[in-house]
Parts: sequence; structure tokens; C-alpha cells
Amino acid sequence: MEAISHAGTVLGVLATDGVVLAAEKKVTGKLLDLSASKEGGYGGSGEKIFLLNSNVIGGVAGLTADANSLVNYARSAAQEHLLNYNEDIPVELLAQRLCDLKQGYTQYGGLRPFGVSLLYAGYDPHYQFQLYHSDPSGNYSGWKATCIGANNGTAQSLLKQEYKDDITVEDAIGLVMRTMSKTMDSTTLGSEKLEFATLTLDPVTKEPKAKIYRPSEVDVLLKKFDLAKKDEDAEMKTA
Amino acid sequence: MECSFALTGKDYVLVAADTTSARSIIKMKVDEDKIKTLSPHLLMAYSGEPGDTVQFAEYIERNIRLYHIRNLYPLRPQSAASWIRRALAESLRSRQSYTVNLLVGGFDTADKTPHLYWIDYLGTMATVPFAAHGYGSYFASSLLDRYHNPDGTLEEGLDALRRAIDETAKRLVVSPGKYTVKVVDKDGVRVIDL
Amino acid sequence: MSIMDHNGGSVIAMAGKDCVAIASDLRLGAGAQTIAMNFEKVFPVTDRLYMGLPGLATDVITLREKFRYLTNMFHIKESRPLQPSTFAHLLSSTLYERRFGPYFCEPVLAGLELTPSGTYQPYIAGTDLIGCLNFAKDFIVAGTASDKLFGVAEGLWEPDLGPEDLFETISQTLLNSVDRDAYSGWGAIVHVITADKVVTRTLKGRMD
Repeated sequence: MEAISHAGTVLGVLATDGVVLAAEKKVTGKLLDLSASKEGGYGGSGEKIFLLNSNVIGGVAGLTADANSLVNYARSAAQEHLLNYNEDIPVELLAQRLCDLKQGYTQYGGLRPFGVSLLYAGYDPHYQFQLYHSDPSGNYSGWKATCIGANNGTAQSLLKQEYKDDITVEDAIGLVMRTMSKTMDSTTLGSEKLEFATLTLDPVTKEPKAKIYRPSEVDVLLKKFDLAKKDEDAEMKTA
Repeated sequence: MECSFALTGKDYVLVAADTTSARSIIKMKVDEDKIKTLSPHLLMAYSGEPGDTVQFAEYIERNIRLYHIRNLYPLRPQSAASWIRRALAESLRSRQSYTVNLLVGGFDTADKTPHLYWIDYLGTMATVPFAAHGYGSYFASSLLDRYHNPDGTLEEGLDALRRAIDETAKRLVVSPGKYTVKVVDKDGVRVIDL
Repeated sequence: MSIMDHNGGSVIAMAGKDCVAIASDLRLGAGAQTIAMNFEKVFPVTDRLYMGLPGLATDVITLREKFRYLTNMFHIKESRPLQPSTFAHLLSSTLYERRFGPYFCEPVLAGLELTPSGTYQPYIAGTDLIGCLNFAKDFIVAGTASDKLFGVAEGLWEPDLGPEDLFETISQTLLNSVDRDAYSGWGAIVHVITADKVVTRTLKGRMD
């Protein structure tokens, strides 16, 4: 639990036509090799936000190694469901699968629990768009907007003030960005500190479409909301 | 001999199965219901080896029910049919396999569409507008090819079904006498008196 | 009648110039009786690789689901799509696992392989039911009409066909072959795979 309260913030907002997820990255520095996240894969740098299945994105806060193990478990569980039922796993059922596992480690002696909280942003035909949160004890709950990790209290109250039931994805992206910029330690945001993802429906196929933003796409988004890190050299020149 | 028929129409699926329970050439029972209601909007007609049929149908019924209780909503028809097919396909390669043929018909409440699946004891599954098992299938397939209307009303569907049943009664030496007919639509499952 | 012929159905794959095509008929039977006319036997594996599965329909569905599981797990863990040559060996070893109680299917692969220089190269292959790989430069046939497909393809195929010509060649080969086979037919589906897209067309055949 201690690890989670220090972990990078993960924020989720449920909109009428999609779900938005954003996360603060803690492992940064100019020596960190980010070349792998520039192209290929699902986008993102794979530190905080993961594609769990074609209809669910997960955001993690806590011990990174534990989180990776849980992400692996979630992906297997989702594919197992696809194999057995020939459908994408319902979002709540996927959350339940992980919670059953997490709960097990609170009950039996000798092993420590997973030090991870997760946010699940997903879609299924039963309840449409959904946002769930699960903690290390194996509790889970559904949310309209929520937050895990450092400063989650501040973010939670900001979200409570600004959230509206009829919010669209467009507005939710703005809400997430504003909240994120206020809760993060650093004053300016950049793609090296932020991961971002949305889950919407494809307008043509009506199938859920997960989009985990690449670093360059995150920067475009930040610029749009005027939260981007100012180019220091440029400022120096104008001064 | 055992016969079962099913067809889809506009927003409904009709399922019919004969009611005889026979051992060899002897009829033991003439009012057996061989169509199980697996969930509020899902029907399954079963036929095949006596013994296997009821055992397998009850196994499916209880598992589909368990999923419903655990998750508050039932499996959608497509998912239920895929799961049932897998149960049969895995059984086929076991020491003692179930010899059961199925027609699974359901109404998907999520996207408001009727679905019908033809499944045999090998675990073959086909998505079809109409289907039949048993000797009656030789008459039904051709008649329904000609007279089935996928957008037909319930009355039209029942007319097509009557044609198949009547033809089977007329032409098949060992035709069954009575059928149970059930329909599943947005309101759930009902028994229909032909 | 062999168990391989119980449900009927045929698949063919052809290589062209910077493109490949794969096609199947749509019949599902139970012996001589036709059950369905919408039973596809070709499935996508990645954006640039398709697999055809003629044979016993229960195994067609089981294998389709099994390979979807295996490739999805590969894709999600490796964050890159499987290359056709890699998948061919996954296919081969998966089938050989059941050496003494096989899946009654003879898979056919058609895809484009990424070369080290970044271009795509046509790749077609077939296996028998226990996973013996067979690579070809021209075409691969399988299913109840395979003998007829061999003959017609041998006559119609030529090297370096473009996507449109390849589509015409594979379509004519399949349609004319299944007309001489009672267990295949009832229309066909054709996929033409090029580096930037896959074009899928459903064909009507002699619907009798």
C-alpha cells in the first residue's frame, strides 16, 4: 500500500462515448533509452499503461515487477475467455479474475500480496463503457472518474468538482489533462513524464478501439491543451 | 425416429422437437420435452444416444445457469453456442464421447437479434437461418430452402414449420407423432401449440 | 468415405508478384447433405497472413480458435506480428503434437513475409494433417476438390501476376474445380493480400 501511494498517478475518466486513461511516469531521465517506444508495439512506453485485451486498457500503480506479472495474467485470462466463449471478455469479469488472484495472496500465509492497484478502462456489450479500480486486497469497484497513486486525494476532489454525467471523450481528455497537470510534481508536462490512452468505438465497425498514444502524439495533445513544456532555448532567445 | 427442426424469423427463433422416448423399436414415452431452456433467452433442442442426451443437456444447462448466477447476466447466444460446441469437440476425443446433436436458438438481448446454431456430436457448428436433425432433416432442409423467410412473422414461421413436420409425418416410415414447439424472442421463451 | 471428406470443402492459395491470394468454397456438409452455405474456411492470422483450413469442420473450428489464441498471445507479449515463416513452424509443431490422433485438417498458408530490407515477399505453404510442411513457389491446394484444383491451377497459373490478375486466376481455378466436386461449392470467398491492404470478395458460383 505504501508503494502505491508513492507511485506515479494514474487517472481514469468514463465518458458517454469512451474512456480516457492517463498516467504519470516516474522512471525518467535523459539517459533512459526510450527508442523502443517511438515505433512498433501498441504505442506508449509500457511503464504504466498496457493493452490487456482488444477491449480493455489497464493502468497500474505500485511495484512495477508485480504489475508486469499481473498484466501478463490478465492477458492470459482474457485470451482464455476468448478461446472458451468466442467473445471478448466482459470488463468486470476480467477485473474479477485479477481480484480472485490478488485476494488469494491475502488469505494464505508465506507469500506477500501483489503491491499493485489497477484501473481498467474497457467496453463490452453488456454495460458498454466501464471504468474499474482494484486494490491489492482484491477489492474492486466501478467508477465514473477515479485516480490511483500519489496525490490521488487531490486528483479525486478535482475530478469530483468538474465531472459531469454527460461528458464526451473530447471533454474527458481535457479534464484528464488539466487534473494531471495540477497533481503532478513537475510544473510542465512532457511525453517523457506522461502516458495517455483512450478507448472508443470504431465509427465503422462499432468494435472497441484502444489507442495508446505514442510519445510524439502525447506531445501534440499537450500542445493542444497548452500544457506542453516550453522550449527553454526558445525562451532564452526571446528574453 | 427422432426429429428436430428450428428456424429464425424476424426477431424470433422457433425450435421444435419430437416428444417420443424410444428404446429400440419400442416407444417408452410420448410426452418427453427435449428442448431445454438454458437461460431466459436461450433454447437447446437435443437428440441422439439415449442416456448421453439427458446427461449432456443437464451438464450444459447447469453450467450456463452457473455463469448466469456468477455474472448476473447470461452468456450471449453466440458465446453459449461456442462454449457448448467446445464441450462436444473435447468430448469427441475423450475415452467415452457424448453422441448428442443439438439445435441452439437464442435471442441476443444486447443487439436485439435472433441466432440459430446447428451443432452435431462431432462438435461441428454452423450459423444457419434454419436447421434440422434426424431423418426429418432430409425433408425439412429442402422445404425450408423453398419456404423459409428470414424476415417472416411468427405466423409465417409456424407455417413453414408445419410444412416440414407434415411432410415428415407423410413421407417418413418411422415418423414421430407429436412435437413440442418453443419460440424465443425479446420477451423470453414461450411454448407454442401448433 | 474418409473422415477428411465428411464435411467437404476446398482451399487454394496462389503466389503473385508482390501479392498472394487465398480462397475457399463456402459449403458445410454432413456427408452428401448440405448443412450450410456460409461456412468460411480461411481465417486471418495477422494483417498480412491468412490460413485456410479444409477438412473435418469440428477441427477447423477448434484449430481456428487455438491458433487465434496462440497468435494473440505472441502478438500481445512480443508487440509485433508473427511472420509467415515463423507461423508455419508453429503450425507444424502444433499439428505434430497430435501425431497419433491428429486434427483432420490440411492447413494452407498465404502471406507476405517481411524481408530484412523492409519489403514484403510472397509466402505460401501447406501442410498435411500431421504438420509436414510443403513450400511452393506457385500454388497450394487442399480439400475434397484438391485433385481438380491441381489440374486447373497447373493450367491457369503463371508467374508474376498482379493483384487483379491473380484474383481472376484464383477465382476461376476455384470455381471451375468445385463445379466438378460434389462436396465443395456453394459460392466462394477470395482474399488478395498486398503489402498495404487485403481485398476480400465473396463470389457466387453455380449455386447448385
